[in-house]
Amino acid sequence: MKNFKINHRNKSGLEVLDLQGELDAHTASQLEDVLKNLINSNKSNIIVNFKDLDYIASAGLGVFMAYIEDVRSIGGDIKLTNMNDKVYNVFDLLGFPTLYDIFEDEHHAIDKFINDNE
Amino acid sequence: MNNSDNSNGFQSSFELKTVLETSRLLVESRDTSFILNNLLLMLMGRLLVSKAAIFVYDPVSEKYSLKKAKGFPEHSEGNEYEVITHAEQKKLSHLPVRDGQNVFPESLTDEENSLYFNLRTSNNHHGFLLLGPKANNKPYEKHEIEFVEGLSIISTAALVNSELFNELNKTYRNLDRRIHELNTLFDLSKEFNLLVDREKISRIFKFALLGQLFIRKFFLIYKNQDEISLLASSGLSTEPDAGQIEQIFSDSDQEVMLIDDEFRQNNPWVQENEIVALIGISIQNEKVAVIGVGERVNKIPFSENDFNFLKSLANLAVISIQKTYFLEERIDKERMEEELSIAKSIQEGLLPDPIPQIPGADLAAKTISSREVGGDYFDIAESPDGNSIFAIADVTGKGVPAALLMANMQSMLHLLLPVDISFAEATERINSIIFKNTPPDKFITFFWAKYLSDHKILRYVNAGHNPPLLLRHNSDTFEELDKGGLLLGALETIAPYEQSDVQLNPNDLLVCYTDGVDEAMHPIDQEEFGTDRLRKSILKYRDKSCAEILDGIVQDVKSFSNNRLTDDLTLLILKACE
Repeated sequence: MKNFKINHRNKSGLEVLDLQGELDAHTASQLEDVLKNLINSNKSNIIVNFKDLDYIASAGLGVFMAYIEDVRSIGGDIKLTNMNDKVYNVFDLLGFPTLYDIFEDEHHAIDKFINDNE
Repeated sequence: MNNSDNSNGFQSSFELKTVLETSRLLVESRDTSFILNNLLLMLMGRLLVSKAAIFVYDPVSEKYSLKKAKGFPEHSEGNEYEVITHAEQKKLSHLPVRDGQNVFPESLTDEENSLYFNLRTSNNHHGFLLLGPKANNKPYEKHEIEFVEGLSIISTAALVNSELFNELNKTYRNLDRRIHELNTLFDLSKEFNLLVDREKISRIFKFALLGQLFIRKFFLIYKNQDEISLLASSGLSTEPDAGQIEQIFSDSDQEVMLIDDEFRQNNPWVQENEIVALIGISIQNEKVAVIGVGERVNKIPFSENDFNFLKSLANLAVISIQKTYFLEERIDKERMEEELSIAKSIQEGLLPDPIPQIPGADLAAKTISSREVGGDYFDIAESPDGNSIFAIADVTGKGVPAALLMANMQSMLHLLLPVDISFAEATERINSIIFKNTPPDKFITFFWAKYLSDHKILRYVNAGHNPPLLLRHNSDTFEELDKGGLLLGALETIAPYEQSDVQLNPNDLLVCYTDGVDEAMHPIDQEEFGTDRLRKSILKYRDKSCAEILDGIVQDVKSFSNNRLTDDLTLLILKACE
């Protein structure tokens, strides 16, 4: 089994997912399951923290593409934070910064959520 | 400021300092716009000029485009000019606006004391810098011209560097993308190899495409044998119904097809879901899958490279999906074969084994099935009166249906055996039951007989079966036991079955067979073995034991048909004892 883990925690009323290890074709469905669960229970203010994510493949990015509309359609958003340079480069390469808020640190994302929801 | 003409260098240390500072500033800069802007502002401020512009030359289109313009409100940056410039003009360091050979349209400026400066590196012409008249409207002095030239050279070099850098950067990004695409392909091919779950393969393929192409709308239609179905989708407003799926599949090309207005009109579903391209995937020239994609989220159109990547990835996925279908078929086939082999052993259990011996006669019988299970049947049993009964039958058709009917036949025969009715009546009952229980195209040819060993009498009914051949001990001609009635299961019993008695003498030989014997085919001549050859075989082996006669006939049939038996073959042979 490959090294990939998702930890789900709550912070300031937001859902924070900490990703750890390698998010690739093999592990993408784990992330999908977690996102689906959040959406199904109407928890749509989601922050994904990439601090401990070492590698991301296209299939991993695809999961975000597949669910961003669902999340936004129920009034929420997925914001991405704390990427290392290698991971950010992949997001940047494929054009993701035009569609997603990507922050250097989690607290920026929290601030943005709180400001937007005021 | 020293206004005297000094041809040996810059007029003042101030001018020199400006050039040095600029060079320092520009050497590091990668930003074309900044470089050009800086050049204009510095010159305009330093020389008190209120109008200035920069035209950059594109050697491919041979056009000049206005990159920066200050003090020309009626001219927009980005305008393109087709200007014929003479070779010598491109070599001059500067040229006046009014020299009779205007480089640019007069409308930009035709004021006196304006100058064009050549933006050049040692080998190439890169454009022109236009400086309008100075505030005092005096001609540019030599030291001023040299100052502008100096700054132009540095700026042009920086411009070329920054363009090169940008070009390299673009190439590097493209390369990075390609590498990422390759990684994706590699990653997925590894993953697909491990998977036998079609749904999972489709989903991973979907995610990889969404991520790599930066799209939100996607579907994958796959054709397995004659069934076309939607295996995966994302971002669709409605899922296509069966008719729409089939239409999209048949309307798409084997290659990449960009959706045009006509296609949209004919496929409202495609329009509604904003699908922009369909990509057909073929294996061995046969279209097996169609992939639809929506536009890229950042609106950048798909390049050929994108489609090539998509096709490579789709090929990987489709082959893996096909593999899952093959695997299922193989599992189904293996299960079927296993069940058939169980059926075969059950069926074999229905035939008597070992062959019981009949008092007063030698007996041999055997069935050779051409398939796992078949429709031939023979039986030997003792009747309640202590005599022996034997039967041979052939069910129409082959395989499982024939085997089922044969099993049915077997149980009926054994059920009726202890019932105290005549042979003819029993045959009638069997016929009625089979007629009721089977479709009209299923029937059984059936011959059965009771051997009354005390008197060596053979009492038989032949229900449409190949007449068994009786070879008398002292004769070379055959009698056919053909009395009885219609084959079983074809019609309701109308006329009663007729039973007949035949007196046997010692060493009289009776050969019962199914059509697998006489209809065995010669592989080349397409000729049947036939009853004549069967009779010859019987005559050849008549003096041997029944088992040996049986083996001899089977051998003859096999060598005639080159061991290719296409039908079940059954023989039952009886010889009356002394």
